[in-house]
Amino acid sequence: MKPYNIGLCGFGGQGIILTAVVLGTTVVTKGNRYAVQTQSYGSEARGGQCQAELIISDNPINATSSEQKDILIALFQSALDKYLPTLKEEGTLIIDPKLVKVPAGYEDRTIEVPATEMAVTLGNRLVANMILLGYMQQRFNLFSKEDLIEVVKESVPEKYINLNIKAIHEGIAYAKKES
Amino acid sequence: MSEKKAYQERVQSGVHFMAGNYATVEGAIAAGCDFFAGYPITPANEISEGMSKRLPAVGGAFMQGEDELASIFAVAGASLAGAKAMTATASAGFNYKQEGIGYASAIEAPCVIVDVQRCRGENFASQADVMQMRWGASGDYETICLAPSSVQELFDYTVKAFNLAETFRNPVIVMSETTIALMRERLEIPDPKDLKILNRRYTHQKPGEYMTYKANPNQAPDFAPLGKGYHNLYSINPHDERGGIDWDPEVFDKLYQRITGKISENKDQICETQSYHMSDASLAVIAYGSEVRPALDAVEMARAGGIKVGLLKLVTVWPVAEKQIKEVASQVSAILSVEMNIGKYSREIERVSGGRCPVHYVTKNKGSGHTKEEIYQAIKEVWK
Repeated sequence: MKPYNIGLCGFGGQGIILTAVVLGTTVVTKGNRYAVQTQSYGSEARGGQCQAELIISDNPINATSSEQKDILIALFQSALDKYLPTLKEEGTLIIDPKLVKVPAGYEDRTIEVPATEMAVTLGNRLVANMILLGYMQQRFNLFSKEDLIEVVKESVPEKYINLNIKAIHEGIAYAKKES
Repeated sequence: MSEKKAYQERVQSGVHFMAGNYATVEGAIAAGCDFFAGYPITPANEISEGMSKRLPAVGGAFMQGEDELASIFAVAGASLAGAKAMTATASAGFNYKQEGIGYASAIEAPCVIVDVQRCRGENFASQADVMQMRWGASGDYETICLAPSSVQELFDYTVKAFNLAETFRNPVIVMSETTIALMRERLEIPDPKDLKILNRRYTHQKPGEYMTYKANPNQAPDFAPLGKGYHNLYSINPHDERGGIDWDPEVFDKLYQRITGKISENKDQICETQSYHMSDASLAVIAYGSEVRPALDAVEMARAGGIKVGLLKLVTVWPVAEKQIKEVASQVSAILSVEMNIGKYSREIERVSGGRCPVHYVTKNKGSGHTKEEIYQAIKEVWK
């Protein structure tokens, strides 16, 4: 597989970096591949723009960053405006339609996943990122569902494990329904 | 994640997805570190935080000093008491460490100092402390400094740093960078049996026979175990073999010849480099630390376009790998020296090359590393 570049952007507190870390942990420790994850964020404790980047590859990775994203996930309008140019021509944009508008000219390659709304229905808006990970698992098949759930079990506090796994299943179901 | 694994184990063998600062912590713990003192500063804080969790779990001690000076001197003291000791800081804090590094060098206290280089005042990427690593303290001394370029190498070179510190009884600096310290990457921690760990070398002589600083020329003396009746004085002042302060010019000269000679005369044993695509190269890129990554990409881009270029990666930045750099300078028609500062180490490469070939400075000081395209462009221009 060619190196795969994923960008995630939003504002602080949405779990942007955690999402990238869970994804990276899944492909490296369970999928036995290589990954590099970097991030940038403002000095605010919460809020402020936040961006994470993940490169996945079958081989060791040199360059730690790419301006040619295969997937860009955007959960905040101003973050999308800033990072949209990093999406490559045939790349896929994933947005939460409650938070971000589909940019003009991107209609045919934008996927709308109402992750925040779905998370609120599940009882906690913080699991929106897990819904997105579930969605990505089903849609792009970069990692297995079992590996993802395994990592969530290892890294989430005990009392939130079930909620997070439920959110992953919701994301998977949404992707199945869509296709 | 590694946090779930038994913390009592020093070596967290297995495949991890870990940030560079935590890989530094795991390297130190695996190498047998049992004392850490530090003072908060970004982007080195995860090292202190990780040490504060890991050290108590393996029976070591963690100390937050009131400042950088207290921390480095506590490290020197702990080292004399028998500990494998480490401190970590970032550029602005590294300034304050210099007095302690000078002291630890003079009394030959093995210890490891991690400098996570950043741009002045902010968490932007930089390699601008490369000269301070070598020349920061006053007086005659030598430094060993290793430059990792990945999360894996932060682990590997931290282990190596502890081993070199014990071998040469000298401070060893791990030259980390914002880039790799805050990045998460695949880290494979080997089985404990596959890790080479060197421990403290103690004297076989009895109290009375033993002299604190008696050693062969260009070698480090053995330690005396603490609390076993040996009397030791560790002074930064010129000292004779017994450790007594002595201002005799001959004593002074002999001491500093040995303290510097144990590093400078054993350079070939210490210095490590790695070569990529060098066998038929008529151009060479020389890089260290995180800049090795885009440099290797750029070399491979140029190779695909028919340019015979190779890469020499400096694992050891200090002492200078003179033998390897001279060999490269004799082989190629030009060297491109790549670094993330205004062009500091390039002068060392120029000095060592000694006119065998021209040295082109490829430098950047904008808070981010070179892109592969930038280095590729530089290669193309020199190749013309």
